[in-house]
Amino acid sequence: MTTTASVVAFDQVSKAYDAVRAVDALTLALRPGETVALLGPNGAGKSTALDLLLGLKKPDSGTVRLFGTGPREAIVAGRVGAMLQSGGLMDGVTVAELVRLACALHPKPYRPSEVLARAGIAQLADRRVDKLSGGQAQRVRFALATAGESDLIVLDEPTTGMDVTTRQAFWATMREQAGQGRTVLFATHYLEEADAAADRVLVLHRGRLLADGTAAEIKARAGARRISFDLEGAIDRPALRALPFLTALDVSGRTVRIRSSDADATVHALYGLGVYPRNLEVAGLGLEQAFVALTTAEEAKSR
Amino acid sequence: MNSLIKLELTRALRNRKFLFFSVIYPSVLFLIIAGNADSTAQVPGTGLTLPTYMMVSMASFGALTAVLMGNSERIAKEREGGWVRQLRLTTLPGRGYVLAKTASAAVVSLPSLVIVFVIAAAVKDVRLDAWQWLALTGAIWAGSLVFAALGVAIGYLASGDAVRPITMITYFGLSLLGGLWMPTTTFPAWLQDIAKWLPTHAYAALGQAIEQSRAPHVQDVAVLVVSFALFAGGAAWLYRKDTLKA
Repeated sequence: MTTTASVVAFDQVSKAYDAVRAVDALTLALRPGETVALLGPNGAGKSTALDLLLGLKKPDSGTVRLFGTGPREAIVAGRVGAMLQSGGLMDGVTVAELVRLACALHPKPYRPSEVLARAGIAQLADRRVDKLSGGQAQRVRFALATAGESDLIVLDEPTTGMDVTTRQAFWATMREQAGQGRTVLFATHYLEEADAAADRVLVLHRGRLLADGTAAEIKARAGARRISFDLEGAIDRPALRALPFLTALDVSGRTVRIRSSDADATVHALYGLGVYPRNLEVAGLGLEQAFVALTTAEEAKSR
Repeated sequence: MNSLIKLELTRALRNRKFLFFSVIYPSVLFLIIAGNADSTAQVPGTGLTLPTYMMVSMASFGALTAVLMGNSERIAKEREGGWVRQLRLTTLPGRGYVLAKTASAAVVSLPSLVIVFVIAAAVKDVRLDAWQWLALTGAIWAGSLVFAALGVAIGYLASGDAVRPITMITYFGLSLLGGLWMPTTTFPAWLQDIAKWLPTHAYAALGQAIEQSRAPHVQDVAVLVVSFALFAGGAAWLYRKDTLKA
């Protein structure tokens, strides 16, 4: 199972804090060149999983291998660049000085000017690190993570604090990095972000791997849209249940609530039934609800 | 690691408040205390004039300030802020962070004590042999390592909020009770009994022995060695504990 060809290999990794299992028998492997999203709500164990991956925490049981070695060896070899949510910056120095330090510490460094430009912070080079906004600090962290030719880039909720424009520019940079054959792993709790940037999505819930597939597959499995409407007269449940792409049906009084993995098709077919739905609403399913849907499906399967 | 030392130094030299307190302040204090003293007035039981005696005290005090004040607070804050974690994702060896901090503090402490010597010699006519100046510089500089280790230990022990008061109490307590601000001979007897076991007292006594051209007391050397072992051992233990927790 654990092969040296894997960029990252978790084998039955567990980590608990007191009684809480933050990561529970996690087994996964990342292949070279993939862009992978680690998706989960707050408290799903994403940060702990990344800490274990980077060797910042030791697993209670199981093994973590990066490029066939331990995490620390991989870091020392310059194969890993990482940006932590909890990663601080050194106060009292300038952005350029900090990036120069990161380059000096990397075995296969880029030129500091390149790193600054790529992270979009060339204009901030002389700014003191303690005078940066949240989004600017995130980009400096990103610069530190990409100071050299690392084979794996790990990012923990990289776009926190960034505005929409910066966010888009950030993902463009990431795609460029991935295009050079790097493996990119990022944690996020935005389904849209995973959808937009990742080839593969790992869904983490209560420290366990709940799903592993493309973003489209995950959304489909979770039943990504919620449709609700009111119906006059008798409600024909079997006909509703037979609607295409329907994943869940709930009728209370006159109100019908449907979950669908393709809302357009479902609504189209709904009108085809010859009914007249009032107060029709179609809404995206929040990730939290998507998780509920996934976990319910999971529990039903194991029963 | 040299790049981190360089950056730590750049930062220290940029911090005017820190530079004032560690480099200028000891000399100012020396002038205040010894300024009006008669250059021939002796500190009882030492055979040294007051300016000569206070020169070593203030040089020791300056080195203490440079190695203790900056590091403990920075380490505690950077631990809490996550900079220490970020550095663990680089090739920098685990000890590198602490060594860089200590090295940069040592660079600041050297001018601090040399300036006290220069002022004492120029303004208060303190005269010693060449070997004594060199030995004093070496002993006070090397001895500051004891307190650098203490600074690191406090940095790993205290939280970001608590670190300043803890450092201040330690710093003023050690300076005052160790006799860096006034000779311990002016203390009541019971306080003198406590003071002679403090590392700061032993530290200054080392310099005074050089001024008196005699070998240092075994007890003073022992106090310094044991203190260093305790502080460095404590710092190493706390560091490891912090690494596992982080």
